[in-house]
Amino acid sequence: MENYQQLKEWRDQKIKSVSWDHHELNKFHDKLMRRTVQIALKEVESEWGSPPTHFAFFVMGSAGRSEQSVWSDQDHGIVYDGENPLFHDYFLKVGQEITKGFAVTGYEKCDGNVMASNPYWCKSTIEWEKQILAWLDEADWESLRYFSTFFDARVLVGKEDLLQRVKQVAFLKLAEVPSLYQRLYENVGFIKKGLGIFGQLLPKEKGEDAGNINIKQTILFPYVNALRLLALLEKIPESSTLKRFQRLPEEYASIKKYQTDFLKLLNYRLYFQKETVNYEKVHLLHVKSMSANEKESLKELIKNGRKLFKETKKMIDQRCLR
Amino acid sequence: MDPIFLMNNVWIIICFTLVLLMQGGFILLEAGSTRMKNAGHIAGKTIFTVGAASLVFWAVGYGFIYGESIGIVGFSDFFYGDFTSVVDGLAGSVDFIFQLAFAAIALTIAFGGFAERGKLSAYVVFAILFSAVVYPVVAHWIWGDGWLGGLGKQDFAGSTVVHLTGAMAALAATIILKPRIGKYNKDGSANDLAGHNQVYTALGVLILWVGWFGFNGGSTLEVDGAFFGYVALTTQLAAAAGAVAAMFIVWAISGKADIPTTLNGALAGLVAITASTAFVAPWAAVIIGLVAGFIVYFSMKFFDKAKIDDPIFALSVHGMAGIWGTLSTGFFATPELAAMNGGLPGLLYGGGLTQLGVQTLGVVASGLYAFIASFIILKIMDKVMGGIRVTEEEEIIGLDLSEHGSYGYPESMPEEKKQGA
Repeated sequence: MENYQQLKEWRDQKIKSVSWDHHELNKFHDKLMRRTVQIALKEVESEWGSPPTHFAFFVMGSAGRSEQSVWSDQDHGIVYDGENPLFHDYFLKVGQEITKGFAVTGYEKCDGNVMASNPYWCKSTIEWEKQILAWLDEADWESLRYFSTFFDARVLVGKEDLLQRVKQVAFLKLAEVPSLYQRLYENVGFIKKGLGIFGQLLPKEKGEDAGNINIKQTILFPYVNALRLLALLEKIPESSTLKRFQRLPEEYASIKKYQTDFLKLLNYRLYFQKETVNYEKVHLLHVKSMSANEKESLKELIKNGRKLFKETKKMIDQRCLR
Repeated sequence: MDPIFLMNNVWIIICFTLVLLMQGGFILLEAGSTRMKNAGHIAGKTIFTVGAASLVFWAVGYGFIYGESIGIVGFSDFFYGDFTSVVDGLAGSVDFIFQLAFAAIALTIAFGGFAERGKLSAYVVFAILFSAVVYPVVAHWIWGDGWLGGLGKQDFAGSTVVHLTGAMAALAATIILKPRIGKYNKDGSANDLAGHNQVYTALGVLILWVGWFGFNGGSTLEVDGAFFGYVALTTQLAAAAGAVAAMFIVWAISGKADIPTTLNGALAGLVAITASTAFVAPWAAVIIGLVAGFIVYFSMKFFDKAKIDDPIFALSVHGMAGIWGTLSTGFFATPELAAMNGGLPGLLYGGGLTQLGVQTLGVVASGLYAFIASFIILKIMDKVMGGIRVTEEEEIIGLDLSEHGSYGYPESMPEEKKQGA
């Protein structure tokens, strides 16, 4: 039987060959993660028997959006059908085993403990539905962060419709209380500054990472957050930012034009990061080693991300006023 | 008694207390700009160095500055203790105590370069030698009966005498002491060893700012004509412009409206206007402050890059801004004010390059002397005393404990917590 260590070796051999192409890289991540989950499931089955009910293991964060870089950390959860404490015990075991497996196959554990090994992220469909409503009712900073994280979920192994059922609850609630859209954009409205008043790039000034720009917080997030908001608005269940772009109705032409920027950004990131050796450094872009042209196009991407986010807010405001 | 004579003396004694109170500003500024484990040391050593500077100034400092000139220094009036003489329209003792406060400030600035790594014994020895050998020489040249004063060097309250002299000693110290542990990474990049309390630092700056009205205002040495009001005006404008300029430039370039830089901007404005306060028009005071605010930002970056670890920015605030302030009269001194307070008008008033030349000469000669003398003294101390820097272990546990035996913040330190538990 295949084990985690073998998968890790497979990763090490293979990843370089796909690290230059966004789609290929994410396809490879999916394969690797799926095979890891299969091992974990077999491992639990050998001790606890077959899964007692239908379930779905889903990934969130960059994995959920199919936007993983060479390195990424773990963000995942489980949803299962039916209420039974034994089901919960079983799937929590599965979550723990997957977390362990992912750590071996090259995915760092999540600092915030957003993992299926945490009972908070391993629930039945009914509990998940309650959780979604609780987050949206509470609507404070932390609960909306959790909600946004959850909304980027994508089923990797198991029953797709279990997750979709839960997402539908969110759409219904938001339609009932449209002011929540505004709360959601306020929640992700902070964009780390990437450009100064002279239009210059603003890399980190001190410490070991001096001279680097955090591509994730500064450049990527405005695109990701804007498209998540629009997906919520248009009830688009897809989790990938690119797919969300594609699924937007035609009247969003002014938004859709940013899709090419976003794709460029994803490939750009890979181009500069193929040599990165760990997760900590994977979001850093060293400004000095970029050519003048590259810097210019990076600036353009930063500006456009901000514009996109601003336009998104405006659209939501208009919709909420209606 | 002549009421003006009496008023002059009361005014200068008030100014003395203001300048002495500036040490309180330095205590908060320095403690806030450094880490918790050194806070008690940084604050407490300032009280000690004020003591040391006072005793040395009384014994020899005053005599070297204001005694009968024998060329490089004065040489009379040691162990000052006269209640009958009158100097510059002031009771001799009043003049003495006011000048003493300036000498103590210069020493405190110099010790900025020792922060977080200098041995206490090095503080003791250097306090004596700086106050006896370094500061009095520059002060004599410019304010005593010395050669730079003779050339018409303009330094109203001491951009050169106090601030640059202190900063050059600090530069010598930072070079010899080398950067603090953890300041630079292997790849040469600098880390931000952030100070532990920006509120202290800000309050320290405000206390210094208030004290500066004694520093500059008192340097009129009289109340007659109430010229101190004008001095206060230009001082306030330059400090204000320095703060505004520094916050603007750091925000424009780095994207962050950095607080320590802003605070240093206010101080740089004050340091710069110290020389020129009595010589320039209000609009020029604003420009002097603005330029000082810009200079301090670039200077902070420069020293960081040059791997000169200056924990409380003494080199940028007192050194670079001190140089700029001294040179500024060479550009901006007005004919009326120069006629009133000495020297010639500046370049912008048709005074030509003469005054600017004198100012430049003053900066170079004073700066070089203060640096070389301090460097030699510290090098010799380094050899004789078996090093002037604490050991690595002492630096890591903090100078509060290593040099004084108790922490400034005992509850926040791990060792003490364990004992208490």
